[in-house]
Amino acid sequence: MKTSLRASDVYWNPIIETLPVEKMRELQLKKFKRILEWAYERSKFHRKLYQEAGLEPGDIKSYEDVARVPKVEKSMMRDIQRKDPFPYGDALCVPLEEVTEFRQTSGTTGTPVYQPDTWQDWEWWAEAWAYLLYAQGYRKSDRVFLPFGYNIFVAFWAGHYAAEKIGCEVIPGGVLDTEARILKIQELKANAMMATPTYVLGMADTAKKKLGIDPARDLTIRKITCAGEPGASIPSTKQRMEEIWGAKVYDHVGATEIGAWGFECTAQPGGLHINEALFLTQLEDIETGEIIEEPGRKGKIVITALDRIAQPCIRFDSKDVAEWSKEPCPCGRTFRIIQGGVVGRADDITKIKGVLIAPSAIEEVVHSIKGLSNEFEVIVTKKGDLDNITLKIEILPEDEKNQEVVLTQLKDQLRLKTNLGYNIEVHPFNSLPRYEVKAKRFKDLRKHG
Amino acid sequence: MSRGELRKLDTRIKTIKKATLELKQLSGGIQAIDRNAERILASVKMLEINISDVKDLV
Repeated sequence: MKTSLRASDVYWNPIIETLPVEKMRELQLKKFKRILEWAYERSKFHRKLYQEAGLEPGDIKSYEDVARVPKVEKSMMRDIQRKDPFPYGDALCVPLEEVTEFRQTSGTTGTPVYQPDTWQDWEWWAEAWAYLLYAQGYRKSDRVFLPFGYNIFVAFWAGHYAAEKIGCEVIPGGVLDTEARILKIQELKANAMMATPTYVLGMADTAKKKLGIDPARDLTIRKITCAGEPGASIPSTKQRMEEIWGAKVYDHVGATEIGAWGFECTAQPGGLHINEALFLTQLEDIETGEIIEEPGRKGKIVITALDRIAQPCIRFDSKDVAEWSKEPCPCGRTFRIIQGGVVGRADDITKIKGVLIAPSAIEEVVHSIKGLSNEFEVIVTKKGDLDNITLKIEILPEDEKNQEVVLTQLKDQLRLKTNLGYNIEVHPFNSLPRYEVKAKRFKDLRKHG
Repeated sequence: MSRGELRKLDTRIKTIKKATLELKQLSGGIQAIDRNAERILASVKMLEINISDVKDLV
């Protein structure tokens, strides 16, 4: 075999991960046509959607034609599941008895969406995660700890199966509480972990304050894979996590309805690779719907899972906002990169005092200021015609004597990075809400009158 | 890896798939065979995604 050992040391699949761009588009088009035909033949929902648009699978002849296919929105998935067969509805493409997995979305943006998968789909989930974990340096010799509640949310389930697939030793930290999880990591000398950024920081807090354990010094975790929130792509949040754990922190992005579609590699290029082996991703201008191919222009991600069969995900409007990177990655993968990861959600990016802002921009500032705790809350209200932003923060007990300096830095950086003024409220340390999974730190009360 | 090498891999993948489908046909409905064969077929699909789908593009 000509593919050298070095290539297979670096890539899960060196053939696909280094495929030239034009070949990749050819592969994606072939697979897109296959999944479109699959759904058209088996799903009443998809067939109706495409017939109403006057489109048949055979009409898709080029990569550019993909954009002609109608998009699917989350609200449509909620309507679908009110139909038969229970509980998934008429986008189901396999007999109900072939479904082996149930998961549901977290419901952060409304009624949860139910997601069926066959065993083949579940293998595919693990395959997608295997690409990303391998790119983040997971190998057979790793002992991986998973501190999440194994339940109806997909969360890190597929990370568990993918780590097994790679050959890692996997420790399920399921129903243990945070202190027990930390002690188990210490006892078993686990060297890798997967968690949300909020929980990664929260665990470190608990380790230090309740157990007297310094994660960087006393624990052996050296790589952490994050998901569920954008924190690992926000430089200041990533830096906090890396410093406190003495570990490399890598981001990954995915969704229950889509799959694990993006990941950071060990080169940490300042963005996330799209897994183009398994997903076809397009960026659309938020207002005009125009497809964006050039770097440096933000758009929302419309995405197709090319091999998922039970409930296909075809041209799903993810609402995630991103932009293409200018630079190729030094890792050698030809998978495209979204610069800075997912920078916001189309329905979260909001105009305050006439300025467009994503909540992640405020997180970037707060976490860059030494002396502030990891927790904060942003509340937007309206007084008359004027928008008002309140930022609630906590000052670390050891920095209380420097409160004025800390607050001045915070105000200066907020003005510089977001072009907005804030009412800053200092709250006692440990009084703001703590989150174990996805944090809800941004509250726009204007929408509710 | 050359196209020729990929095609050799693809041939072996097809052989595994054919043998697994034959196992199911011969199982007499024994679930210990059928369900394990289904799991093999799911893994075969991952091999198809990684090799067979791309074999003519290299």
